[in-house]
Amino acid sequence: MLDLLDFRPEIIWNYRELFIRGVYYTFILSVAGVAIGLVIGLFAGMAKLSRRAWLRVPAVVYIEFFRGTPLFVQILLIHFAVLPTLLGKAQSPIVSGIVALAVNSGAYIAEIFRAGIQSIARGQMEAARSLGLSHAQAMRYVILPQALRRMIPPLGNEFLIVLKDSSLLSAIAVPELANAGRIVNGALQRPWEAFLTVLVLYLILSLVLSALIHRLEGRLSAGRSG
Amino acid sequence: MLEKRSAPETHEPAAPLISVRGVSKSFGTNRVLKKIDLDVYPQEVVVIIGPSGSGKSTLLRCLNLLETVDEGEIVVDGVRLTDPKTDVDAVRRELGMVFQHFHLFPHMTVLENLILAPMKVRRRPRDAAVADARELLRKVGLADKEDAYPDALSGGQQQRVAIARALMMKPKAMLFDEPTSALDPEMVKEVLDVMKSLAREGMTMVVVTHEMGFAREVGDRVVFMDQGEIVEVGTPEAIFSRPQNPRTQTFLSKIL
Repeated sequence: MLDLLDFRPEIIWNYRELFIRGVYYTFILSVAGVAIGLVIGLFAGMAKLSRRAWLRVPAVVYIEFFRGTPLFVQILLIHFAVLPTLLGKAQSPIVSGIVALAVNSGAYIAEIFRAGIQSIARGQMEAARSLGLSHAQAMRYVILPQALRRMIPPLGNEFLIVLKDSSLLSAIAVPELANAGRIVNGALQRPWEAFLTVLVLYLILSLVLSALIHRLEGRLSAGRSG
Repeated sequence: MLEKRSAPETHEPAAPLISVRGVSKSFGTNRVLKKIDLDVYPQEVVVIIGPSGSGKSTLLRCLNLLETVDEGEIVVDGVRLTDPKTDVDAVRRELGMVFQHFHLFPHMTVLENLILAPMKVRRRPRDAAVADARELLRKVGLADKEDAYPDALSGGQQQRVAIARALMMKPKAMLFDEPTSALDPEMVKEVLDVMKSLAREGMTMVVVTHEMGFAREVGDRVVFMDQGEIVEVGTPEAIFSRPQNPRTQTFLSKIL
């Protein structure tokens, strides 16, 4: 308890550049991870709904693998094994970090897309096809716009999870927020100042993000019955 | 007067627009269509009646391949639908379909519902599509609703929009799958009136319905289906006044 009573805010100030850099990388990595995850998730989610086994089976294997194994180990495998093997040499921790977050969140987002698409009644697809639209056109103009509205809350949730899970990237020395806390504590042995600051910064990022998602949700549902 | 349909060309001068030959279909072990033969000629209104579960909706849905066919052949405007090489989308755009539950696109306005397919499928310029849409909306009595979302319309209005949306593709024939079954009684007439005016203009129509008044008044031929078979085909007069088959008689005695 004495440590906490002796809390020294000047330490935070002295290391402000490290913390700010941490916030920046946490934000960038999460946004990049989710953005790429959205593309992966869209295709994996639609592939899982396909009648063709050569599309569906790989999608199911991908989704189950990344949802059924720990992100922490995925990060280590991708950084130290997968990317060096595929590309011939190790990539920077930031590249590995974005890849890991993207393929991991892609698996969860695929399930969000699948559920969103399935929640749109079959009659919508039939009506679109009966007008002569191709399957792809029906998806693009009729099914996905409706599904996306229903997907905003679960996608926002996934974004918050990725934001917090990106802290695991400190294991491969990505200069993100949790890593900044470890550096400060390592240098000064001041865990309260180091880690409490990091947590509060995560909290602020999360709250700002939730508020943005909430506004987006409100805007989209307002547009519906215009 | 059960029609023998072995050589339709001999008693109708024009070639059929839709030709169904020996079509069977099962859902699992349930045979919903058994060796169906049916021809629909240009400008003809064919009304399909029958108890629920008789296969009439399934037959209609087979005509634009919303259901696949297990065996037999369907030819629409000279194109064999049942040929796996057939471009399904190309056939579908020639057949307008109206559903029991409308299936308007809820995220689009009435106007957007109408112009989507002509613009994306027929590559029609937006201005031309909008002009077509306004003309059709006027025709179905909804000129003032083009900016409304489907949610804001009554069932009867939604179904009239759905008919207009199908007509936007300038189809060669219109298929109606129980178009008034989901409507409140006071809205049935407005939809039937639109369908009647279409029939008067010479649109080829296949209508699955429980509206016997419509069948009698508008139908050129009435098809009675039961248990996956076409039991009897004839003029409305023949079917309703002098049904030959006992199953037809039983069905009509229950509903008329």
